[in-house]
Amino acid sequence: MYEERFDKRQFDELRPIELETGIVPNANGSARFKIGGTEAIAAVYGPAEVKPKHLEKSDQGIIVCKYDMMPFSVPDRAKPGIDRRDMEISLVISNALSRAIMLDEFPSSMISVYVYITQADAGTRCASLTAASMACADAGLPMRDLIAAVAVGKIGDSIVADLSKAEEDYEGGATDIPIAFLPSKDEIVLLQLDGEISKDDLKKAIELGRKEASKIYELEKAALKRRFMYESKD
Amino acid sequence: MLFVKNYDIVTPGEMLADEGVGGSGTYTEGKKIFSKYLGTVMLNKDWINVSQLNGAYIPKEGDEVIGKIAAVEGTYWAVDIDTSHYCRLDAREANTGYRVEDLSELMDVGDVVYAKIIRVGKDLSSSLGLRGGRYGKLPASMLIKFNPMKISRIIGKEGSMINLLRERSKCDILLGKNGVAWVSGDKIGMEAVLAAINVINEDSYTGDISAKVRDILERYSSQKNGVE
Repeated sequence: MYEERFDKRQFDELRPIELETGIVPNANGSARFKIGGTEAIAAVYGPAEVKPKHLEKSDQGIIVCKYDMMPFSVPDRAKPGIDRRDMEISLVISNALSRAIMLDEFPSSMISVYVYITQADAGTRCASLTAASMACADAGLPMRDLIAAVAVGKIGDSIVADLSKAEEDYEGGATDIPIAFLPSKDEIVLLQLDGEISKDDLKKAIELGRKEASKIYELEKAALKRRFMYESKD
Repeated sequence: MLFVKNYDIVTPGEMLADEGVGGSGTYTEGKKIFSKYLGTVMLNKDWINVSQLNGAYIPKEGDEVIGKIAAVEGTYWAVDIDTSHYCRLDAREANTGYRVEDLSELMDVGDVVYAKIIRVGKDLSSSLGLRGGRYGKLPASMLIKFNPMKISRIIGKEGSMINLLRERSKCDILLGKNGVAWVSGDKIGMEAVLAAINVINEDSYTGDISAKVRDILERYSSQKNGVE
């Protein structure tokens, strides 16, 4: 039985969150998202000319995402460069972002999104996606909505939000479900599942994810606005 | 019903109203109007507009831009105006009256050119024109980059800010809508313009900026008098 979480959180409690935008001076838009021991930095460049040329679409723009874990982000050194896991996450991030960004306004153009994980403690794809969507908004891209992503899961018999690495490795069995929402549209743009879960529990987990994502969404909005508010400038 | 006030900062996807007409920077789903950008709400009598706070320049027909020659081709120049594609400046736009064998005699790679966008293609590639006005090659001088969304603040109400800059600094200033300013004049004047544009660029959202700019120009002009 998993009755109390390792870090004494409530089952539906998120780890402490930090959000910041405009941190990469050379990028068109950038953001940092930190949740507990997981930190993602995203930078957005573009719209620019499509390279390589064969990816170009004449009626809409494309998003190219690069997700990478820095060598020092995990206890065992991560090999620099893109491995198969990085490729998968890059793909799911760009797919989710293409639901949020109005790509038909940039025909024959490319938007490059770079996400780097500087610290990893589970939930990196959710942190990356949240940071990437904030960076896109900061870059002034037309978007339908921001993306708020959170990992939910089942540990033992309990449905919990925002798993840590220790919880993912719980020996009684843990299921990890990263979910991303467009909160004001109530659309799901990412849903993955690693482990075993019953249909009813999955529904409960998604419901919990929706609730937690809306909390993150409010923080995102506040962070984006904060940079342009007079009061908080000094 | 309207959910926002004038000059409110909104994020993409924020609902602005559930009736009415959405203007620029908004999109509608059903009857609801949402913001498309991170920007400020601009209400007028009939429309709800959102003007962007940040972002790259998207070429529009009729805009005046300042660019750099990136390549000289057989019959045209490719001009870099900081957008996704290079612009095409056709040789016939440079009204020479005689046939030029090598276009680099007129303008070479790295030269700065002031031009007007005459056509924007479907894929955002655009063509430049030089007919009329002061368009053409600019003498080498200082170029200042700024956020293209801040151009209305640099121009000011009915050109008040740009006229103030021109008068006080005694500099010749040309603004490109793509976020480039060309400044020519004496050294102290150019430094004053640089400082002023940087101030507008950094915190134009803090409200009244003209007092700050006036202050900067005053400081530089007193410096100039001290030298003489």
